[in-house]
Amino acid sequence: MSALLQVCCAAKHFGGLRAVDDISFELGAGEIVSLIGPNGAGKTTLFNLLTGQLAPSHGQILFDGQDIGRLRPHQRARLGLGRTFQIAQTLTSMTVLENAMIGAFLHHAGLSVAAAQAMTALEAVGLAPRAAERADALTLGERRRLEVARALAMQPRVMLLDEVMAGLNQTEVEEIIDMVRRLNSQGMTFLVIEHNLKVVRAFSRRVIVLNRGRMLAQGSAEEVLASPDVITAYLGKSA
Amino acid sequence: MSPKIRGFRGELPITLAVVLAIGLLMLSQMGDNFSLNILAFTFLFAGLATSWNIIGGLGGQFSLGHSVFFATGAFITANLYLVWHVSPWLALLPAGLVAALLGMAISWPVFRLRGPFFSIATMAFTEVLLSLAMYFDTFTGGARGLSIPYRAGLENMIFRTRLSYAELMLGYLALCLLVMAAVTRSRLGYSLRAVRENETAAMASGIDVLRVKLSGMAVSAGLTGIGGALFLMYVRVVDPPTLFSLFDIGVKMALVALIGGIGTIYGPLLGALLIIPLESWLRAVLGNAVPGANLIVLGALLTLTALFLRRGVMGGLEAGWRRLRRAK
Repeated sequence: MSALLQVCCAAKHFGGLRAVDDISFELGAGEIVSLIGPNGAGKTTLFNLLTGQLAPSHGQILFDGQDIGRLRPHQRARLGLGRTFQIAQTLTSMTVLENAMIGAFLHHAGLSVAAAQAMTALEAVGLAPRAAERADALTLGERRRLEVARALAMQPRVMLLDEVMAGLNQTEVEEIIDMVRRLNSQGMTFLVIEHNLKVVRAFSRRVIVLNRGRMLAQGSAEEVLASPDVITAYLGKSA
Repeated sequence: MSPKIRGFRGELPITLAVVLAIGLLMLSQMGDNFSLNILAFTFLFAGLATSWNIIGGLGGQFSLGHSVFFATGAFITANLYLVWHVSPWLALLPAGLVAALLGMAISWPVFRLRGPFFSIATMAFTEVLLSLAMYFDTFTGGARGLSIPYRAGLENMIFRTRLSYAELMLGYLALCLLVMAAVTRSRLGYSLRAVRENETAAMASGIDVLRVKLSGMAVSAGLTGIGGALFLMYVRVVDPPTLFSLFDIGVKMALVALIGGIGTIYGPLLGALLIIPLESWLRAVLGNAVPGANLIVLGALLTLTALFLRRGVMGGLEAGWRRLRRAK
């Protein structure tokens, strides 16, 4: 498996705080990798380094062999990095369809083609029936799904999902898992921040655990979740 | 079943119908020079507010410095006509182009600022450029200003009748509406709205935020420059303080768009139809008795709009229409 995304010693310091501290890993084409860790472990900061919302303090980020560490977010998006935000970045005065169209415009300049592409993405996340509504009418859970639809409409090569399952009910979670598996089987690569360990087990062959900005463990879901270090990080030491 | 997305081809008949309706309104006033004068200014300001709306409304960049582009267009046309004897019709192109380039040059550093800070910076630019214009008086005429001698003729864009000027301004309004409709119903329009709503989401979706803002500003400033050129040919006497006027040009463009309906295609036209005749009438009726009374009324009107019609008259009409349909 060739590495699509390579992270080498990436770090982000905020003053004395090392939010991301020398993290290296590879993401192979066609993988689904989960990124887990307690609150404040640096998961979202790592995402922001990958998609360019933050510049790394040092380290290298390679996408398809190209160093993208200094590229602006829109340039990385154009290369094929799609992402969602933990706090949904909804375009509230636009309709649900128009929100998804903003992603679709990346590859389609024409309105009707972009709308069709956006509609496909909305169908994938189950928001198609609400396409004509204004996005501020959506619940928080629906807004997260709209995030996914907007990223999906960009037809990215790698999709970074930041806690998209939070606030969704069991059925909706199943739907998203199905969607991820289906897109993965069509060749899309996923890096997923997830708190729901059931979800992590459901689709990731590989799990990366972060704690306090450092990589604590990486391996299969069973291995990692059984590791004493990981249990300590999550639950604390028994006295 | 996907909802209908209206493209430019779907918008075009509406735009043309609106222009036609306004044209009929103008023809109904034929022979009445007082009304035709007011209509000419109404059309001019409708066009200017529509131009402003491209970057101010769609793009959410609340510029108060558009008088700079207005003045640029006017002075370029004046100099080309007076010094080089270039027909004003031909001068419209460089007037628009230079205004567009100036718009990009000024905005490039200022677009780093957001919200009110952006507005204040554009205001500051107005003052700086006014001072420069007063200093370089070979180009602008300085405090004395410039005047275009009366030589009636189509090639000089100088007409004998008010109706011709009203027609000229209607043509300008039609141009602005068409450009606004084309931008709104295009990827650029959607990108501008995305930038206005949420820059983070826009960037993550592959939108080059600075480039989109600069494109919107270039179109907006270019059209404003053409408006300045037409204003010059209509009044034929201009000086820097008039053309660079923060209130009478820069703020008024934004105000008309705001009252009519910011970000909508036809809102600024609606705003101009309400405000400009009202203002002229107030000035005529109250101007001598209570100086400045027209400003008080305008201020009150703006306050009422801000309180009750956040999205302008157009937004209010849309909300009313939706309520009516739901009631059925």
